[in-house]
Amino acid sequence: MRTWTLALLAGATLMAMTAPASAAWKGYISHSLGFAFAAPGELKIEKGKYQGAVAGTHDAAIFRSVDDNIEYKVIVVDVTQQANQAATLLGEAEYIFQDGKKVLMDAFGRVDGKYGRKLTIDLPNKAGRTTAAFWFVNGRIVSLQATVLPANGDFDTPEMGRFVDSITFYSVRAADDAIELPLPK
Amino acid sequence: MRRITIATMVAASLAIFTAPAQAAWHSYISHSLGFSVEMPGEVKTQTGTYRGAVSGPRETIIFRSVEDNIEYKVTVMSFAQAQAEGASILGEREYMFQDKKKVLMDTFGRVEPGKDAIYGRKITIELPMNAGRTTGAFYFNKGKLISLEATVLPANGDYASPDPGRFIDSVAFVLSRAQEGSTELKLPE
Repeated sequence: MRTWTLALLAGATLMAMTAPASAAWKGYISHSLGFAFAAPGELKIEKGKYQGAVAGTHDAAIFRSVDDNIEYKVIVVDVTQQANQAATLLGEAEYIFQDGKKVLMDAFGRVDGKYGRKLTIDLPNKAGRTTAAFWFVNGRIVSLQATVLPANGDFDTPEMGRFVDSITFYSVRAADDAIELPLPK
Repeated sequence: MRRITIATMVAASLAIFTAPAQAAWHSYISHSLGFSVEMPGEVKTQTGTYRGAVSGPRETIIFRSVEDNIEYKVTVMSFAQAQAEGASILGEREYMFQDKKKVLMDTFGRVEPGKDAIYGRKITIELPMNAGRTTGAFYFNKGKLISLEATVLPANGDYASPDPGRFIDSVAFVLSRAQEGSTELKLPE
């Protein structure tokens, strides 16, 4: 009996040691952009482009980390000059996200008195699964996207939901030790 | 053989005469509210109220007709001072429409092509207590929240009727696309 217990303990320890190391989640906040969220891994800031028929072409700020073969991205597109078209600009971003993809979920999102949309899609060519949330905040399209890559393979992982649901638009609801996000130069 | 043919013709004529009279669909336009739509029956203008946590209390203008036990309604609210909050205001309206109802369809709506596109949402719900089925379309354009709702009432019973779809898909925001001879919708006094 003692031998069995020891073997089980050893097995459990080995499993814990060989499991992929998940980085701790950290809180981030941008007072100027008006939101906070949480993500694991090392967050990097990148620049990108966004294009829509209604929105036109805009620079995008991308806050991105990869942990355990899940890519976490917050994409911010400043459309302040067209903010009076907020509803259509957000609808267009949601539409573009899922256009031509297999949609697994398309549901209401509601956070801190703001309404948005949450969608899950399967990427073409078995490139993974993305869960995203879309919001319109202070003249900006804000999209959180978590993609489980094939190398991870756990397409039902709760980490995607944890990420997209971590957003808040009230700074008081951000983590106490949230890190201020620098803006891309 | 001739008797059968005559009897068939008489029966067909009777069926036509006894079927519910369907009013013609007319095209309506509101230059001041910025949309056009097609509806059957006599369209009446009413006012109402709406309240949402995000949008607050609002007065509404309702253009309504009932034809063959299907109720057609266009509801317009003005948010001229809150256009940058249009996405949340629209989302709240859509959410309230389907809250606690059985949702049968919830999909993207898009009116007008290319850069003129207006994105919204089309939703079909079953009303509680077998009170009918409503298909709604929701758009926010130029500071106005515009909802189109067609409810097939139990007295009609044809819940798969194409008429609600015809109604909500008839909306246009580029007014040059409205039919020629469209009737200008009367605004409440």
